[in-house]
Amino acid sequence: MNELNIFLFNVLLFCLFINAGISLYGIFARPSLIKKIIALTIFSDTANALAIVVGYRVWPSREQSPIPPVLTTTKPSSEDISRFVTQAVDPLPQALVLTAIVIGLAVTLFLVFLTLQVYRLYGTTDVRKIARLKG
Amino acid sequence: MRIKKLLVLGSLIVLVLTLSLAFTSGALGYYPLPLPNVRMLAYWYLNTTLNPNYPLFTAMSPEAVTAIVWDYRGLDTLFETAVFFLAIVGALALARGVPLRKASDSVSNGDNSRGLSLICKTATKLLIPLIIAVSASIALHGHLTPGGGFQGGSAAAIAPLLVLVIFSVFFLLDRGVSEKSMLTMRTAGLVGIYLTALAAVLIGMLTGLNAYVFQNQPKLNAPVGIPALFFNALISGTLFFFNVSEYLAVASGFTLALILLSIPEEIVKRFISGEVHE
Amino acid sequence: MIGLDTLTYLFMAVAGVISLIATYLAVVENDLVKAVIFSALQSTVYTVIFYLLMAPDIALVYIPVSVGLYPAVILFLIKKTESTEGDLERSGGGSK
Repeated sequence: MNELNIFLFNVLLFCLFINAGISLYGIFARPSLIKKIIALTIFSDTANALAIVVGYRVWPSREQSPIPPVLTTTKPSSEDISRFVTQAVDPLPQALVLTAIVIGLAVTLFLVFLTLQVYRLYGTTDVRKIARLKG
Repeated sequence: MRIKKLLVLGSLIVLVLTLSLAFTSGALGYYPLPLPNVRMLAYWYLNTTLNPNYPLFTAMSPEAVTAIVWDYRGLDTLFETAVFFLAIVGALALARGVPLRKASDSVSNGDNSRGLSLICKTATKLLIPLIIAVSASIALHGHLTPGGGFQGGSAAAIAPLLVLVIFSVFFLLDRGVSEKSMLTMRTAGLVGIYLTALAAVLIGMLTGLNAYVFQNQPKLNAPVGIPALFFNALISGTLFFFNVSEYLAVASGFTLALILLSIPEEIVKRFISGEVHE
Repeated sequence: MIGLDTLTYLFMAVAGVISLIATYLAVVENDLVKAVIFSALQSTVYTVIFYLLMAPDIALVYIPVSVGLYPAVILFLIKKTESTEGDLERSGGGSK
């Protein structure tokens, strides 16, 4: 039974890796600027998902799943806290991924405005045509 | 074409299953996944996030992720907000000088001639207060439940997006939601963040005690702190005020970017070719 | 009966495979509006993965940003520029 669980978890992990590979292919090989922006957002989301997969932990028992890193009472006792520490997932990758999502959003927003300006000035968003324009 | 797509998809799925089978049976090296324990640093954060037994180390907030974002690693969040502001400044610089209100259509019958049909408009009028209420609830409870300033702010930016698409951009501009007012609201949110970050330092300077920037609760040699309880309700010191200011700043920042993106193209073309000046 | 842990891991694996299909279709599609819809589908599946990995904060950020704001901004961009990605002779160069 343990082998089956590890196999299913590895399926998720390798799906994320192949997603990163496909989106990298999309950034290099497709000629439209808008397709490159879409593939770039998929790539950054996959990198964030990989960071959160690292923070997961093994199930404490067969019936008790890991819990998110949120305490459920505002006046915890000592055994509440020690049980919380043995069951909660890692909170640090989630805080770092929050920052990373905001920064990725800012870069994508700026890229969209730049693409709009390129279209207004040159009339096309196809990189093959832009490369032939000679300045 | 469809056969080729199906073949490639099928071979990708077979690749994923084969690789994970190889990894499980140890053919690619042995590494225990998922990990059996969290790391030592996570033990520290989970132990001290709400612990009255360690009053000098705790952050007095039952939500570990918000405490890390605004208390333990507050400077990271400050620079992330600065990066977002730089992107908005870049977008504003690309659209400088374009007159948004002038040269709009001279034949204007008011709001009834613009936008989508009556069904869409009525449904949107019912949805907008609900969206803003839910986003405010997510933002203001950020120190007790999953949520916080950025989550609530980005959910609250969906409401102006709906109004932009279903009514028109001139509907928003006529009611005072323009680039200048959104920029003012964003600056007010950022000033709120800066004042909350410097609150402990100001109190320390006035009373002569030692204090740090971004300080939430009293520490070992810095006995200044923002109180964590407000008439027996937990507000976790500076975390509540950070969440409110970040909510305002993020919602107005997104609205500003969306308004800039929906300027009609003929106005921009006439501006670029030199016919219309500021 | 299947245990609770196997069921959770099975959901994670199925969500991973669906996201793989959505990503591949988003990258090779020529019509840009359909590519944006596939990208929004991939983001929804990623939200399910984030929820199963016990990260509710990230799931709360991810839904408005990736299913609401990214496709809206890119659809604005598509409406103002070209809407298909095609061969060198077929896609137009004129304004729209």
